Amino acid sequence: MSLSRRDFLKFGTASAAGVAAGTGVDWTPVEAATTALKIKEAKAVASVCPYCAVGCGQLIFAKDGKIIDIEGHPDTPHTLGRLCPKGAATIQLSNNPLRPTKALYRAPGAEKWEEKPLEWMYEQIAKRYYDTREKYFIEKEKNKDGQEVVVNRLEAIGSLGSACIDNEECYLLSKLNRTLGIVYHEHQARV
Amino acid sequence: MARTLAMFTDTSLCIGCRACQVACKQWNELGPEVPDWTGSYQNHTHFTDKTFRLVRFFEAPGAAPNGDLAWLLMSDVCKHCADAGCLNACPTGAIYRTEHGTVNINQDVCNGCRYCVSACPFGVVSFNEQTGTATKCTFCNDRIHNGLGPACAKACPTESIQFGFRDDLVVKAQKRVETLKGMGFKEAQLYGADSKGFLGGLNAFFLLLGKPETYGLPVNPKLPQKNIFVDSLLSIGSAVLVGVGALMAFRSRGDGKEG
Repeated sequence: MSLSRRDFLKFGTASAAGVAAGTGVDWTPVEAATTALKIKEAKAVASVCPYCAVGCGQLIFAKDGKIIDIEGHPDTPHTLGRLCPKGAATIQLSNNPLRPTKALYRAPGAEKWEEKPLEWMYEQIAKRYYDTREKYFIEKEKNKDGQEVVVNRLEAIGSLGSACIDNEECYLLSKLNRTLGIVYHEHQARV
Repeated sequence: MARTLAMFTDTSLCIGCRACQVACKQWNELGPEVPDWTGSYQNHTHFTDKTFRLVRFFEAPGAAPNGDLAWLLMSDVCKHCADAGCLNACPTGAIYRTEHGTVNINQDVCNGCRYCVSACPFGVVSFNEQTGTATKCTFCNDRIHNGLGPACAKACPTESIQFGFRDDLVVKAQKRVETLKGMGFKEAQLYGADSKGFLGGLNAFFLLLGKPETYGLPVNPKLPQKNIFVDSLLSIGSAVLVGVGALMAFRSRGDGKEG
């Protein structure tokens, strides 16, 4: 393609004018797009931070069945919406693709860990609780006078609670342990 | 323009928990990064495209009121300068000032030339290799336009990071400096609160317990653009000198041949 000097000047001037005009582009709609709030149409649900026993209030924002944001609940009297770094990262509990979704199991005497589904793990825990209780449950025991008394005790299982569970969970755990007859009902803070 | 919004970071209240850093990452959906082992609790060493808030840890000998070693903590962030180097340098108009006085980078307009990266006196603007755009703290642009404060200020458990109108915060900050001086922190001072000071004042200003250099901050930050005029004159001057020198060199050689 041949380009005459006249054409060159013509196109050159047009391009220069275009560039000059380009700097005057109105970016307002593009800027407005950056102010759209992602949680605007999300459903907010009040909740409690799952980590430590302080129990800071949290607001969980969900949209289309997925959690999109978790932040402090400003109406919580003792935190006023603040969170610690761990609490601020609570969304990772549901959204982190790196979280393990399978249980690791090492059979007695085995050298390797194997992956098992979580359902299998829950079943195993329940089954072993049941079996142990059936085998070692002490219903009656002789007291120091040689009389048989009802004790309903299970000494083969110990329960270690955690500082990370809240009141309601503590209540449930205690209930479960007492129902089974577990006497070694311990807590992390006392170990 | 609406009243200027600002963040006041009171480093005397900072406990170094880094909730601000986490809250920032969480809200802005910034991905994970490989940690840097710096010998302190600080992670990372500098701002990156995935770290807009960064808590810095300093061990300063003699900075405590009784002359002992002090452990200084500072939650660092983009300062949203009134005279912003990145904003001046941006050739595409991607960096703009919002009606609240904050500086934001429009990711759809940025062409990734990185002039802003070198123009920032605080090393705040970082380049994102994945998107090919420059990134920095947005002052939670989406949140402040919808009646919410920035994520970091909301999460801060000690109110070390405070969010509000700039004029209110400056008054508050000055009172706090007086209180701290009364408590024995002789070096307590504000950094960037004075709108007549450097860079026209910072919209994210700080209360420091020591000299700015203790915190790794420039004492009198200047924009590289300010050097353009003098540097251009120097370049032109050098070119003239070299040109004249070359001409003289040619002439003397010619003279030698003839003679």
